[in-house]
Amino acid sequence: MHFGQSLIDALSLGALYALVALGIGLVFGVMRLANFAHGEIITGAAYALIFTWHLGPVVSVFVSLLVGVVLAILMELLVFRRLRTTTPATLLIASFGLSFLLQRVYEALFGTNVRTAPVASGLAGTVTVLGLRLQILSLVTIALTAVLLLAVHYFLTRTNLGLQVRAASTDFRTARLLGVRADRVIMLTFGISGGLAAVVAFVMTVQTGAVGPTFGVPLTVLALVGAVIGGIDRVIGSLVGGFLMGFASSFFSSWLPEGIVRFRDAFVFLLVILVLLVKPAGLLAGSGTVERT
Amino acid sequence: MSDLPGKVAATTPTQTPLLDVRDLEVRYSGVPAVKGVSFHVDRGETVGLIGPNGAGKSSTVLALAGAVRASSGSATLDGVELTGHSPEEVVRLGLSLVPEGRNMFDGLTVTENLRLGAVARRSEVPLTAAIAEVVELFPILGEFRDRPAGLLSGGQQQQLAIARTLLAAPRMLILDEPSLGLSPTAVDVVFDALGRIRDAGTSVLVVEQRAEFTIAFCDRTHVLHDGRLTLALTPGAAHDADLLTKAYFGS
Repeated sequence: MHFGQSLIDALSLGALYALVALGIGLVFGVMRLANFAHGEIITGAAYALIFTWHLGPVVSVFVSLLVGVVLAILMELLVFRRLRTTTPATLLIASFGLSFLLQRVYEALFGTNVRTAPVASGLAGTVTVLGLRLQILSLVTIALTAVLLLAVHYFLTRTNLGLQVRAASTDFRTARLLGVRADRVIMLTFGISGGLAAVVAFVMTVQTGAVGPTFGVPLTVLALVGAVIGGIDRVIGSLVGGFLMGFASSFFSSWLPEGIVRFRDAFVFLLVILVLLVKPAGLLAGSGTVERT
Repeated sequence: MSDLPGKVAATTPTQTPLLDVRDLEVRYSGVPAVKGVSFHVDRGETVGLIGPNGAGKSSTVLALAGAVRASSGSATLDGVELTGHSPEEVVRLGLSLVPEGRNMFDGLTVTENLRLGAVARRSEVPLTAAIAEVVELFPILGEFRDRPAGLLSGGQQQQLAIARTLLAAPRMLILDEPSLGLSPTAVDVVFDALGRIRDAGTSVLVVEQRAEFTIAFCDRTHVLHDGRLTLALTPGAAHDADLLTKAYFGS
């Protein structure tokens, strides 16, 4: 395989994982919750695409986004809001429970077999650029991710609500004492996270054309691991960690020798262990408390 | 506790105090930290709250600000009940707390910290004018407007903590140990500014460990001991060693 081609593939998978990790990292910032059920938001949004694709791409993508956002907000309203004052461990376990519950619900509603539809099948083709045969979907994924990252960055740094999200992520108690409305900020963050999950669902669904009850799980597990090795307490840490996971997976797939390539995940996690041994708090972890005079 | 020396009629247009705290109790998992505290702050008045570590000073003001639940008792601001409200609602009702320890958002710039303070702004004055006003009060903040708050010195952070709280335009400003960990010069700067905030008509409640200093600064200073108010002192008592001893070790 050509190096340039595998580089684009790796960038694209890295971008996808970065989007998952970003969604998880934003919520972690304000809630100290590593939401394992993020994968089921992706699955829900993917089912929405499959079932509504015959209504046309615009309607279908809109419905899928709506499902992602609403699912995420419902998780907050019905489950996490009630647990907000408990420990992070309780929150994590609750999100595991929610994840398994939703998988069973999807199974009951849509069956254990995958559901299929030719979602944006045009994007599955390839184009030839400078002699490289590139998947259109890879290029679209990279472009989508770039736009979304810029949008989230603009939101966090340039808007008043974004400023409140950043403050709440740093020190929620003090933010509330200044008048930042906790419920609103957390709900907004879940909503954004749900929207990002829907975008991920779109890319994945185009790629596979098939959605089952555990569709979002592998992606979420790897992105969560990525967020941790990047440093989940900072959005940029989650983002970079997620990207590295995708990038490394894709690169190992392309370049590990025949016969070893099926142990790809072992190599990825070997890398994860090495990173955590050297930087236990993550590659880009906050410096912790700074000494002040 | 109700016959505290004060100057109710002299400073208020109406008979009700601005902040009226009655029999306030705070418990942490059943263990009482504040055991029925009553006091009031009139409009334009500066009141101190002193007492040894663990006396319940912080618990009292955190309960007023909505950050911890009062287990019983009441606190009203201009007749409106504060207890039971969330911190973000209490700010909107007009009471703001500068908590102990400055609590900077290290990664956010001075300007961003100030903008956050205006999230629950209760005033019609445009924000830019209000920011100019607090920068006049704390000139250093204008100089460092684009600097991350985490890089400021302790004294500068305390100034920022007060400045951003002022941008909510509180009627009742509470400060929890504003002098904690600051150099003598920084303490002067902070209390000089507090003096001007008071002179501008904001009611102020200062929680402090530094007894003499606080008694001299405030119109009235209450002593909190083991969750109860024991004494009320006027500035004249600042140099009365007997009273101070009584204040800290109980009568």
